Amino acid sequence: MILLGWVALLLLFWFVGTSSVKHLFPSPQQVLQGFGDLYNEGLVVHIFNSLQLCFLSIFMAVVISMLFAYTWPIPLLKPVSEFVTKFRFLPFTGLSFYITLVVHEARNMQIWIMVIFLTTFLTTSLIAIIKDIPQEEFDHAKTLKCSRFEILWQVIILGRIDYVIDVIRQNLAITWMMLVTVESIVVASGGLGFLIKNSDKFMNHGRIIALQIIILLIGLTLDWAINFLRKAVFRYSKI
Amino acid sequence: MTYQFKETLLYVENLSVAYDDTVIIKDISLTEKDVVRTAKENTGQIIAFVGRSGRGKSTFFKALTGLVQPNTGKILIKDFASQEANAAKPVKEGDIGFVDQKYTLFRHKTVYQTLKFALRKTTISETEKEAKIKEYTNKWGLDKCIDKYPNELSGGQRQRTAIIEQLFSSDKFIVMDEPFSGLDVGNIEEVKKSFDLLSDMSEFNTVLFSTHDIELAIELAQVIYVIGYPTINGEKKNYGTIVAKYDLREMELAWKDHCEDHIKLYKEITHQMMIS
Repeated sequence: MILLGWVALLLLFWFVGTSSVKHLFPSPQQVLQGFGDLYNEGLVVHIFNSLQLCFLSIFMAVVISMLFAYTWPIPLLKPVSEFVTKFRFLPFTGLSFYITLVVHEARNMQIWIMVIFLTTFLTTSLIAIIKDIPQEEFDHAKTLKCSRFEILWQVIILGRIDYVIDVIRQNLAITWMMLVTVESIVVASGGLGFLIKNSDKFMNHGRIIALQIIILLIGLTLDWAINFLRKAVFRYSKI
Repeated sequence: MTYQFKETLLYVENLSVAYDDTVIIKDISLTEKDVVRTAKENTGQIIAFVGRSGRGKSTFFKALTGLVQPNTGKILIKDFASQEANAAKPVKEGDIGFVDQKYTLFRHKTVYQTLKFALRKTTISETEKEAKIKEYTNKWGLDKCIDKYPNELSGGQRQRTAIIEQLFSSDKFIVMDEPFSGLDVGNIEEVKKSFDLLSDMSEFNTVLFSTHDIELAIELAQVIYVIGYPTINGEKKNYGTIVAKYDLREMELAWKDHCEDHIKLYKEITHQMMIS
């Protein structure tokens, strides 16, 4: 109820604040017009392109991150995993230059830029989860005569699988933000980022805000869906 | 009530554990034997360890269960797999069950899955496993929550699941680190019932537990060890060891209603704890 009140207040402020002739922010009519234009330009196809890129890159990044994270407890491989986490501080506009030298096809380029950078964030989060597993859980597995592999499987992998889902959810905001940026850098494959860049070029503010709303709504829906999935599939999960 | 000591179940000799250069426990030796009472079919062994905080009780338990490698000494337990009488084997990880204060369980396994997993290394058939799980869950009042996950269990149910799980996996020995810590009156009664169940199930069942509650230790245990800092040649050392042992069976205080002698023993143990 309180939330609805705030949303209503925000909408009222938007309507009133943009009702004069001169206004900095686009009016609701301009944004509505933006929605219409975007739809006619194939908005649905662009959303599909962005979602496809999002899911594909998350899937690949999760698999690679899990490999780094699950090998982190092995002393020999620990420095490698920790080195990967440090890469999250690299600005990817510079690195993307080198990726273009190796990967030539636009779509593949987008995917690999996303995968490389998501891997750094996801590995960091997954290692944090493993670090947080209490010693009691490892001792408990040992008292049940678990082999080292069984400890890895039961305590770290199966015992924390719901946390992996939550890590994906938490990093989704970063993914979504990066996705739009990557699509606006490598524009050949379309997507929501491409549409923003295009609208930005012609100073079409109504369209830009319409796109921001779409991106926000899709992000929130994905966040809700992943959380719902985690709770539905893992009954024991109380994160 | 008359009783007899039979074969040795647990033998600890000169056990010491140090982390880097810090000695935590030193020179711990004890022997626990199977006790048979004439008027009772099964009497398990219940042994309590009391002592002030930081005296090394948890480290001793970790060494006992094979979770920490001792620097010196040896721990032997009865080898139930051997046909030979008095056969003993050195303790390995998993031979002695360990139930910690939090009653840790696999968070992703239901009660049934937990118990099935604990039985995975036994040689009994699938049908026998199913029957054993059914028998224990019925006897321990867990039949209604067999499909529940640990976060859906009450404190008592969780604790009982943890005990059965360890019992299934280990060789009749269970170590419980402060099982009464932070429990309300109702839960304390449940843990007491678990002790009775364990004791009545097999004469070889041996429960070793630590507690700060001396009254409970006197009520439940047949032997009480005080772990504290020893005083040698007038100098108080800073490592834990057994500073006193009270065999309630020999003192004719075990399996008996609370009396004046129990109060005297309470005062004596408190004194021992305070000076060590």
